Amino acid sequence: MKAADLTVSTGSHWHSGARITDFSYNTLLALIPAIAMGLYRYGVCAAGVIGTAVASAMIAEAAMQKILGKPVRIADGSAAVSGLLLALLLPANTPAYMVVVASVIGITIGKLCFGGLGANPLSPALVGWAVLRITKPWAGYLDFDLALINYDLGFSMQYPLAVLKASGSSGLQDFNTWNLFLGNQTGGIGASAIVCVLGGGLYMIARGLVRWEIPLCFLLGVIIASCLFRLVDSAAYAGPLFHIVTGNVMIGAFFLSTDNSSAPINRWGMVAFGLCCGMITVVLRVWSVYPDGVVFACLLMSLFVPLLDKLKATPIVVRPTRAQITRKTVEGGASS
Amino acid sequence: MSVFKEFTKGLWQELPPFRLVLGLCPVLAVTKSATNGLGMGLAVIFVLTWSNILVSALRKVIPRKVRIASYIVIIATFVVIVEMATQAFFYPVYEALGIFIPLIVVNCVILGRAEAFASKNGVFASALDGLGIGTGFTISLVVLGGLRELVGAGTLFDVEIMSAVYRSHSFSFMLEAPGAFICLGVLLAIMNAVSAPSSS
Repeated sequence: MKAADLTVSTGSHWHSGARITDFSYNTLLALIPAIAMGLYRYGVCAAGVIGTAVASAMIAEAAMQKILGKPVRIADGSAAVSGLLLALLLPANTPAYMVVVASVIGITIGKLCFGGLGANPLSPALVGWAVLRITKPWAGYLDFDLALINYDLGFSMQYPLAVLKASGSSGLQDFNTWNLFLGNQTGGIGASAIVCVLGGGLYMIARGLVRWEIPLCFLLGVIIASCLFRLVDSAAYAGPLFHIVTGNVMIGAFFLSTDNSSAPINRWGMVAFGLCCGMITVVLRVWSVYPDGVVFACLLMSLFVPLLDKLKATPIVVRPTRAQITRKTVEGGASS
Repeated sequence: MSVFKEFTKGLWQELPPFRLVLGLCPVLAVTKSATNGLGMGLAVIFVLTWSNILVSALRKVIPRKVRIASYIVIIATFVVIVEMATQAFFYPVYEALGIFIPLIVVNCVILGRAEAFASKNGVFASALDGLGIGTGFTISLVVLGGLRELVGAGTLFDVEIMSAVYRSHSFSFMLEAPGAFICLGVLLAIMNAVSAPSSS
């Protein structure tokens, strides 16, 4: 008897008992504080952006599923979550056409062209945001300082990461870490409400809908990378706490990088995924032309997920004992 | 009739970028505008036709073991002619296409036709094959370039089509590399959907 040549890989899913619908609606629930904060800050403009993004994502999903001849499944809420996450990353004054283009491209190209929910290698919200980011004539609307010029919120109205990019860590005297943590900063509609996003993320972890490995390691990666930069030159680079409480890091760690089909499913894969996302985020913040690097870091690492899933993969079947293995080898040797 | 077929197969059945999915590097890189696509396509038609003719004429002379090297020498000869001619007479196109004119030497479509067709068929058939495939390549490049230019910059062959408002807020994502991939993929999907046998 010849020993069977089996490929050992991790099971293709992890199960928390929740269905897709539960997952989506719980995500929406967890994001309500962040939405509320955004509406409180930016008023009806924010409501417009959120409504446009969610509606166009759901319409695009329904239309595309009709065209492809698949059952229309917008009621599971996954399209709504993608649209909402996209809206939370955008400034409140984003023109409606940008929102529509981003969420339609995210849903159609980023998700349904690859086979729909569960088969998409990249998170649709991130694809939509990246399309907007690299469209040069539109990028001005994504720079929060310009986009939010009509607001006066009673705190420093400069986008912290843009300040960091422009004048290094010496320009950060105005920013108080605790204030930034409470969400007193400009940024995306929901992404800037750091404490609300953190609360929602902890709720998701407590419900078992998001595994704790990725968010924790994401934040850890940010800390490690920013500490490394600080070791090189503590005057030029911002500290780890500043990096954690600004921009998209919090929403990225808890909601963007944990998108089910574009994140690894075994523990060590998740650890590596989170750490790399966090570190690449800081590297992009320091060296790239864009102020924030969370989305590109998550997109980049999502492409490595098939490899990360091979990292210390534990088979679902029970491992054979040493005695069984020896017996099999002996039998195999005898019969061949 | 069959000779005519050698020409027409390149227009749909074996349309290079979409059906054979060959020579994608120049297809994606130079199609930022319809003009660039047309220039690249015409250069490829010239090189492809003449290299097919020469490869076919020499097919009994070239030893099998060194055939690829010989084909490269033949192709490179015509590429140099194209490069010098565009530099002399169409300087803006030469500037726009840049490195991608010399890179026609390693374009898989040309080497592929030399290996798959010209080395096995007569001179006349090979010339028609080169013309047909080259024409198909050119049409694909112009369509892709036109689409990207129209959406990405609001112009077509540098003529302003869209309104000034659109042009200042154009969807320039289509001019970037990811836009090229997505545009190619969508066109490929539409082509496959159109020509797929209906499964009723």
